[in-house]
Parts: sequence; C-alpha cells; structure tokens
Amino acid sequence: MDTAPVFSVENLWKVFGPKADRVPADPELTALDPAELRSRTGCTAAVRDVSFDVRKGEVFVVMGLSGSGKSTLVRCLTRLIEPTAGTIAIDGEDVRAMDRSRLRELRRHRAAMVFQHFGLLPHRSVLDNVAYGLEIQGMGKAERRERAAEVVAKVGLEGMEHRRPGQLSGGQQQRVGLARALAADPEVLLFDEPFSALDPLIRRDMQEEVIRLHHEEGRTMVFITHDLQEALKLGDRIALMRDGRVVQLGTPEEIVGAPADDYVREFVRDVPREQVLTVRTAMRRPSADQDGSGPAVRPDATVSEAIEAVARAGAPARVVDKGRCVGVVDSDTLLGVVAGTEQLAPPGTRQPKEAV
Amino acid sequence: MATITASPPRVGLPAFLKHRAVHKLLLLAVAAAILVPLANARWASGSWPSALTLDFSQPLAKASDWIIDNRDSHPLFLYFFGHVSNIVVIAVRAVYLTLLAVGWAGVTAIGALVAWRVAGVKLALGTAVAFLACGLLGMWVPTMQTLALMVVAVIASVAVGAVLGLAAGLSDRMDRVLRPVLDTMQVLPAFAYLLPVVLVFGIGVPAAVLATVIYAAPPMARLTSLGLRGADQGVLEAVESLGSTARQRLLTARIPLARKELLLGLNQTIMMALSMAVIAAVIGAGGLGDRVYQALASVDVGAALAAGIPIVLLAVVLDRVTGAAGEKLGAEPEPHSGRGWLYALAGVVVVAVAGRLAGRLDWPDAWIVNIAEPVNRAVDWMTAHLYSGVPVIGGTADWAGHFTTWVLDPMRDGLQALPWWGLLLIVAALAWVIGTWRTALTAVLAMAAIGVLGVWKPSLDTLSQVLAAVAVTLVVGFAVGIAAARSDRLERALRPVLDVFQTMPQFVYLIPVVALFGVGRAPAVAAAIVYALPAVVRITTQGLRQVDPAALEAAGSLGATSWQQLRQVQLPLARPALLLAVNQGLVLVLAVVVIGGLVGGGALGYDVVFGLAQGDLATGLVAGGAIVCLGLMLDRVTQPTERRAKKGA
Amino acid sequence: MRVRKTAVIAAASSLALLTGCGAADMTKQASPFAGAQGSKTVTLSVQSWVGAQSNVAVAQYLLEHELGYRVDTVQVDEVPAWDALSQGRVDALLEDWGHPEQEQRYVKDKKTIAPGGELGVTGHIGWFVPTYLAKKHPDITNWKNLNKYADLFRTPESGNKGQLMDGSPSYVTNDKALVKNLKLDYQVVFAGSEAAQITQMRQFAKEKKPFLTYWYSPQWLFKKVPMTEVKLPPYKEGCDADPEKVACAYPHTPLQKYLNADFAKKGGKAAAFLKKFKWTTEDQNEVSLMIADKKMTPQDAAKKWVDSHKSTWKKWLS
Repeated sequence: MDTAPVFSVENLWKVFGPKADRVPADPELTALDPAELRSRTGCTAAVRDVSFDVRKGEVFVVMGLSGSGKSTLVRCLTRLIEPTAGTIAIDGEDVRAMDRSRLRELRRHRAAMVFQHFGLLPHRSVLDNVAYGLEIQGMGKAERRERAAEVVAKVGLEGMEHRRPGQLSGGQQQRVGLARALAADPEVLLFDEPFSALDPLIRRDMQEEVIRLHHEEGRTMVFITHDLQEALKLGDRIALMRDGRVVQLGTPEEIVGAPADDYVREFVRDVPREQVLTVRTAMRRPSADQDGSGPAVRPDATVSEAIEAVARAGAPARVVDKGRCVGVVDSDTLLGVVAGTEQLAPPGTRQPKEAV
Repeated sequence: MATITASPPRVGLPAFLKHRAVHKLLLLAVAAAILVPLANARWASGSWPSALTLDFSQPLAKASDWIIDNRDSHPLFLYFFGHVSNIVVIAVRAVYLTLLAVGWAGVTAIGALVAWRVAGVKLALGTAVAFLACGLLGMWVPTMQTLALMVVAVIASVAVGAVLGLAAGLSDRMDRVLRPVLDTMQVLPAFAYLLPVVLVFGIGVPAAVLATVIYAAPPMARLTSLGLRGADQGVLEAVESLGSTARQRLLTARIPLARKELLLGLNQTIMMALSMAVIAAVIGAGGLGDRVYQALASVDVGAALAAGIPIVLLAVVLDRVTGAAGEKLGAEPEPHSGRGWLYALAGVVVVAVAGRLAGRLDWPDAWIVNIAEPVNRAVDWMTAHLYSGVPVIGGTADWAGHFTTWVLDPMRDGLQALPWWGLLLIVAALAWVIGTWRTALTAVLAMAAIGVLGVWKPSLDTLSQVLAAVAVTLVVGFAVGIAAARSDRLERALRPVLDVFQTMPQFVYLIPVVALFGVGRAPAVAAAIVYALPAVVRITTQGLRQVDPAALEAAGSLGATSWQQLRQVQLPLARPALLLAVNQGLVLVLAVVVIGGLVGGGALGYDVVFGLAQGDLATGLVAGGAIVCLGLMLDRVTQPTERRAKKGA
Repeated sequence: MRVRKTAVIAAASSLALLTGCGAADMTKQASPFAGAQGSKTVTLSVQSWVGAQSNVAVAQYLLEHELGYRVDTVQVDEVPAWDALSQGRVDALLEDWGHPEQEQRYVKDKKTIAPGGELGVTGHIGWFVPTYLAKKHPDITNWKNLNKYADLFRTPESGNKGQLMDGSPSYVTNDKALVKNLKLDYQVVFAGSEAAQITQMRQFAKEKKPFLTYWYSPQWLFKKVPMTEVKLPPYKEGCDADPEKVACAYPHTPLQKYLNADFAKKGGKAAAFLKKFKWTTEDQNEVSLMIADKKMTPQDAAKKWVDSHKSTWKKWLS
C-alpha cells in the first residue's frame, strides 16, 4: 500500500475489427454486449474498460475462461498487442506514449514474458535460448553464456545446457522459457498460461518453482491462467475476467468468500473454502472470558488449519496478532465457513482501484 | 457401414460439392445460352475463327532480327545483358577450372567428405562411388562441365529465389503479386524457357545458365516464402517480447525457423537445375547433356546411356545428401563437429595434392569401361524381338498402330471437330466445378489465348496426345502405387527404378522408344508415360500410406476385408493425394511434349524443336506459348482450390 | 542504415570491378569451357547428323595430334550455329547445306563470318525408297507413279494416305509444298529427329517393309539400307524460289565451310588448316560408317581414317 504500482492500467480497451477506434469512444457502442457489438460493427472487444494496479512484489493473477480476453490483456501491457484506448503506465511512465526504441528497452529490461507454448528457438541449445534475450541486447558471447548458465542452474536444468528444445520434456522446456525471461533480470515477469500445456504433476512442480522464485527474489509477477486452483495458489490478488471485463478483483479469500456476482459464485462453488479463507475473515470478536485459553492461531492461517487446531484442543481457538488477541474462532463459525452459510463481510471489490 | 464410422466428414463433402456444382453448371449454362448464339452468328466455324487470331510471327521475327543486329552495338546489350553474360561465363569458367585443378581424386574426396559430414558414412560411400562411376564411364570432363554449370546456376537460383522469397514472405503485397507468378512458373515445361533466353543471349553457356536459373529459382522462392510465413507465431511473439528489432527477428528467428523449407527449396532447386542443365544441351550448354544429345545423332543408345548414368547418379546423390541434411536438422549437434570438418578438410587436401603430384588430374583413359556396346546389343535384341511378330499379343509396333488408330486418332479428330466455343465451355465447366470462378476464368483465358495465337489445331492435337498419355499413366500409376502401398518390399524395390526414370534425361530413351513403337504419336505418348509415371506412383503410394491409421483400424475392427478397406477407406481418404497425382501427371506429361516432337509427335512439340533448330523464334515462341497456355489450362482444370498451400512440398 | 548503404556501394563497386566498368560485348565472349588447360583452343560446331560428326572428328584429331591444339565441340543445329559463329562462340562450321539468308546477313552485311571454302562433298536431298522395293516395283522411282502405290506406304500415323517420312526440323525441306503441288496422295510425317528417322528406317528395312522417305547424301545409312531415289520434276535454277510453289527436285549443293571472321584472320595454323580441309564423299562416308554403324567413338574412327589416308590429309597441313 505504501509502494507505487509497477503497472497501472486504466480504462484499457482492445477492440479487434474494422475501425476499432470508434468503439471505446462511443458510449452507445460500449454499452452493447459482445454479440450485439459484433453484429453492429463487425468488431470484437477482447478487453473492455479494464483498470487495475499491479503492486511491487506481488503476484497478480488474471483469471478467466478462454476467450475472456486475459491473454490479450497481458500482451497489451508491453504492447505486443497495441491497445485501442486507455492508459498503461509502468513505474509511472506512459507505455502507450513510448517510441520504438523505448518500447524495446521496456521489453528488454523491465518486463519479460513466459508463454504457454514456450516459444523456444528449436535450432538453439538450451543455453543459447536462455542467452537469447541478452544476445538481443548486444551482450558479448562469453558474458551472456556465463549469465545464462547461472540462470539455467537456478531453474534446475544443469547438465542440459547443450540439448535442443526438441529433446526436452514439456516441463523442462517451460523451465527454459522461465530461465530466458529471468536472464534479463526484468522488473516484472509476465506469465501467459505458462503451465496449461503441462501434465498435472509437472504443473504442480512448476507452480512450486514459481512460488520458490517469488519467495527468493520477490519479483513482481503478472500471471495469466484459466485454472482457478492455480490462481488461488499463486495469486496475492486475482482479477477475474469475463467477456473482456474484470468482474471481480480481490484476494483469493475475497473472491471465494465474497463472490461479487452469480458468475463468480458459480465459478468458485467447488473450491474447498476452508483452504482459501483465513481465520481473519471467519473470526468473531473475542469475549472477555476467553482470554488466555485455547490454542492460538495467526490471523492469516487458513480455516482448515484453524479447524485442525480447534479439533485437537477441543476448544475455540484464539486469533493472535502480534501477541494481541484479535478474535476467536470456534467450531460453529468454522463449520459455517466450510458449509458456506456464514455471511462474510462484503469487501469493497467492485472498485478495483481501492486497495484492500 | 465401415466408411461412415471411419470418416464422417467425407460423407458431407461430395453432397455439398454436388450441390454447389449443380449451381455453377446451371449458371454456366445460362451464360452459354446467351453467348454461344452470338459468337456462333459472328464467327461460325468449327475451328477457332481466323478473325480472332493475331499474327505474332511478323513482330517476333522482327524483334529477333533486331536483337541479332544490335547485339554487339546497342547499349542495353553492351551495358546490361553483356555484363550478365560475362559474369556467367567468368563464374562458370572459374568453377570449371577449379574442379579440373582439384583433379578427379580431389573432387571425389571433397564430394565424399561433404556427404560424410552432412549425411553420414553410407551416403559418403555412395557419393564416392557415383563420382568414380562418372570417371569409369569416360564422362569425367563432361561431368565436371555440367557440375560447373550447375554450381553457378544453383547459387544464382538460390540467391534470386531467396530474395524473391524474402520479399514475398515479409510483404503481403509482394506475396499477392508473386504467388500466382511462381505457381504458374512451377507448372511450365522447361523447354518453354529456352527460346526467350536464346533470343536475347544466343546459343551458349550464358543462355543455358540463365534458362536454368529461371527454371530453378521459383521453387526456392516459393519455399522461402512458405517457410517465412509458416514460422511458429508463438516463437516469433516470444522473440518480440524480448525486445528484438525487426532485423534481429528476421535473422535470429524467422530465417532459422524456416530452415527446413529452405533446405527443401535448395533440394528442389538442385534437382530442377540438373534436369534443366541437361535439356539446355539443345542450346549449347555442353557437358553431359551435350554428350547424350550427340549420341542421339549416331543413334547410339549405349553412348547416350553412358552419359545419362552420371546424370542419374549426380541427381540421386545430390537429392539424398540434401535430404539427409534436412532430416538431421534439430538433432543435437555432434560434439567436436568442428574437428570433424577439420579432419575432412585435411583429408581432401592430402588426396588432392596426391592426385596432383601423381600427375593424375585427368581421369586415366585406361580406366574407362565401355558400356556402349553391350547396351546397344541388348537394346537391339530387345527391339528385334518385341517389335513385331510376337505370337498372340502382337508386337509393340502393332500395339502402337492400334493405339494410334483407336485412341489417338478419334481423340484428336473429336477435339478438332468440337466447335471452339464448345471446348471453351467444357474447360470452363470443369475448372469451375473443381475450383472457383477465378480458376475457371484463368483456364478459359488460357484456352482462348491458344486460339488467338493461331495454333488452335496443333494444340488440340497435342492436347489429345497429352490426355491419352495421362490416362494410361494414371491407370498404370494408380495400380502400381496401390500395390506399392500395400507391400513394403515392392516399394523398396521400386524406389531405385523410380529414381532412375525420374532423373534419366529423356533423350536417352528416345531411340528405344522409336525402335519399339515406330515414328509417330504413339512413341511420343510412350516417352511421356515413362517420364510421368514415377511421380504418379510416388504420390499415390504416399497418399495411401498417409491415410489415418485409426480409420483403417476402425474399418478393420468392423470386419472389412482388405479390398473393402482399400476401396472404402484408403482411396476416399487419399483423394487429395490422388487429385495431386492427376495434376502432376498432366504437368509432367506436358513437360515432355517437346521431347515427343523429336520422335514424331508433331504438333506443338515439333514446332518448338523446329523453332530452336531453325532459329525461327516466331514459330518456336508461339508454339512454346501455346504449350504454356495448355499447361495453365490443364493445371487449373485439375487443381482443387484447397490444394494450393500444399504444393511446395 | 549506414551499413546498408555501405553494402550497396561495396556490391556496386565490386560488380563494376569485376566487369571492367564498361561495355561488355557478349558476342565476343568465348565458351567458359574453352581452353581449360592453357593450350590454344579451337571450338568446332557439330551438327546433329553423322557426316558432320565425321568432319569434326577428323579435323579435331588432326588439330590435336598434328598441330597441338585443344579442341572443344559444341552440338548446335545449323542456323543457330551461324549465330554462334558470328558471336565467336564457335570458331568454325564445317558443313553447311546452304543458308542464303544467313550468308547475306553475316558474311556480306555484318562481316562477322568468313567463307572457309568448299568441303569437297556435294550434298543432295531427295525422296528415297528402299532398293528392295524399287526392284519389286521398278516404276515406283518416278513421282508420277507414287499415287498408284500410296496404299503401300500407309501407316497408322498417315491414316488413309501414304506416308512420306521427313526427319529433323533442322533440315531444309520443301516436302509439304511438294506433296501439295504435285497433287500426291501422301501425308508428310515428321520424325522430329534424325535419330528417330534412322531407327524407323532400319526397323522397316529389317522387315523388308515399303517406305518412302526424305533423305540425303552423303549419308552412311545407304551402306546399311540401300535406297533408290525417286525422280521428282527436275531442278532448274530458281524453281525453289517461292517455298509455297515449289514443284521440283532439290539441287545438288557443294557443301561449304564457314569460319568466324576474327578466327579466320588470327586463327594461325588452325584457321589455315580448316580452310584447306577438303575431302570426298567416300572419305566422309567411311568415317561416318565407323561411327554410326560400328559404334566406334568419333575419335577412334578419325584415328583409323587418319592412319590410312596420310596422303589426303598431309596436303591440309602444308
């Protein structure tokens, strides 16, 4: 909350089709739903009036089903796809106003992307693929290979430096893609559904890898996915997209705990709530007599952790934050959370600009 | 039942096609009902009306005279064509002298070692054997001449093709302009390119090289463009996301990503250049083609074969080596590959120097094996026994006679008896049903152009020969292709045979063909069949083999017999390949129409030969133009629109 | 941008350097294969018939073995050979059957070709039937009786008319006009190449079948397939002036040699030798027969002839 946003996106539009420019500007057209817009103008709005901030050091997940515009959105951030309207700023600098060389600077040093289908150069070895970004920046051969070797080691591909991408498994290939993005030491990593082409087990490994990297380096990440589990697992905050719009933006807890509308509710219905919601949202105010007794849990512990603690102690648990008891959870409240009957305070998520 | 479960999409297609086809035909019928009476009233004649022909012979003869008179004085020739010609001569000479200086041992060693590095030990041995065979046959110097010409022509073709391909691959507008041109050039017979080049450059090596470049560059251009356009978009996006400049993207991603297509382009360019280098003997290219051509004059099949075998060997070796290089792409490079090259280089130097010191630069005369005599005896024996008087089935001469009387004559007379507008309508209907109105328009215009050129009758004569040849080729080709697709052993046995027939210069089998079938249109058809058959067999076999195994398995699981599987699953599913075979059969048969002119095929083929022999460019060019138009028309009439993109491969 | 400009300049200047920065007359460019190993070279054009090969083979043998030249040969038909001769791509054409139009253009107007004298052989074109047929039907050798025998010469190719077989398109022929103007019930069928024509004639001869063909002498095939000429209306000077109205026989032509004008002047011993080269029809046929029938290589045939005819060729070298 105290740090300036890395990416700041405001009223972003991306419209495909003939004379796309007129769509965001015309209130009558912007009010149309996708099918009507298509029949009236022949245009498709992939991103509609989207605004959000990405804060330094967070993992910002954009989630939605296919066709929701999430991949277009992430490409707009570095203008791999040229936005139609709106503003994008990186560290306060207007991305849309950048000239070509400035834009290249941005792509070379500040934001690197990892792709669903890896996008590796099949004729180069692993090492040269990783070093590719550095090569483009004009770095000498010895230096860039040295740097690349370090990153290759970091993503766990030692010994495979001289293989060709075609000889690697999907997971290994994506590690190369990740290493290539990391090699340039960018401020932000952009992930476009990086793991959706991988087997479930490998996908979990890769998710762990991302979490580990984030822990070690604290790099800002924008992560696109259609997999809710993945979003909940990785995301500090999640923007849920539908038909080009962000329908809800909030922490995983807010999304699961307080769906903004029926679409989101339907979306998160099967999520094991106890693993996402934290004690902080489930707790009630402590009554005076409970002070000092029962197990202590942290406010950011999940409900399922609290259940375990409560079940083991056979008594309500205290929520302790910095030595002070801020609330209590008992079996009833916890059960209510799991059952979904417990009404949670609606967080103000309809206004994404507002920090929570 | 089996078909329905195996391939549901197929069931929809013919019905849909039929529906559309009926619409198109109705529309065409309406248009015809209005136009035909008008046309018939004005120009009522069965053959093409003379009022609608243009006489090109005067202006062409004048142009030809002007060129001959101004070739040594006009600035255009002095400052442009002269330099072009000069560069070609210098380049060919440089390569030729180098090859001679390296000596036969050195050239063989270089060939083998290059083959070893890019394609492995087996092909290296094959390459060495091929070069030594050229020497053994007494063809070392002609082989080097052909090789020198080829090297220059291939380098130029690749350069020109790559530049055009880059333009078409990077700019949509260029692509729209170039694609139809390149597509069309691909179907034109090689002979069509000889006359215009001779017109400008005269007989000789420069003309031969330039004709070869014009003939061989289009596949390179097409495949370069195809490769650039087909590059994995995901990779390109990734490369862009890393902040590359457009130039970096092209050099480090797009071109390397297209390297498979580029190599395939190189392969095709080499093959086409080789076949053209032989044909260009007619315009003074020298080398192996010239030897074949000279052997023809003394009716010496054996000598022609002695010069033909090196061509076949060169073709097979070059094809296999470039092919193997393509397959090796993407594999992990061998460690120490640099050192391998170094050893190779050292080896070459040692062999070359040894050859030099031994004073053995020319192939030693004592080592020449004369195959001409036994070959001639064999051919004589064969023709003597097959020509006539074979009991029951009759001799080949009888067959040829019957074929001429019962097939070729009725077809020719039938085509020539059709009113001209009737033929145009048939062409339009065929092309439209199978393609779009655009293809129909092109086909009709091409056909009409033949009439305008004033060679309507001979063109129909040629057309009848082409159709007859294609019919026989397809019947035989499909039968052999199906058999080869069902038997691995047969396919393996056929492969070298097909290679030989595909690459053997057609001049070589002219004499046996005449000896068997006499002079006339029948041997012309026979020569065309021999030339077109290998490609048809190949495409058929490949098409049948590529049929989805799942569909076959499904049919098999339903208890279909193998005949049912073939008829109900494989053939329908291989339909695109079979259509391609028809198309290629037509294009190839047309390509040897000129060869047919050399054995009495008459018509357009003879006119082209006449034009070349008499320096009568008017006759030659008009006939060449008509062949081109026939080619265009036949290509469009047999070219389903979906196929376009696949043709490069 | 700067790099590109430099590249363009470099390419342009290297091109200019390579080409000598001026006019390049391609009519003065020799074959790239000529004189490959440093010796003096003569390039001879060979026409597609064997007689021409014999001339060239003997000339080549003597040039190489007696005068120390290296000889290249290029196979070209007559008319293109004139053009090549004018351009200097070939140095000599040893057997020409008469091309007045080309002679006018190159010898008289442009003066790029010089006459090289007579070859010593007289050429004659005519219609021929095999002798076995002429013996059977003695009156067949007069054109007036040809219609009577048209049935004999029918082939599938000629349909219901008799077949008159013509050969290579490079040959001088009036046959189509002759058939028309003499009102003969014949169809001219072009074999398209001499090879095809000879092969066909030999097949016919083997089976003693009748055939009527355009043919010419001197020609080695007469030795293998004896043929008798069919008499056409006699040749008179100028009767073949209008190609559409020809109705007379072909003339007897003394065959000529032609040299490239520069070569004739500066060709030294080789040019002098080629100008003196002159032999008889019998000589030529002897060599031709060795090449075409015995399938000897032209070099071997030439050697054999040279070894046994010293007196003839010694004169050419003096």
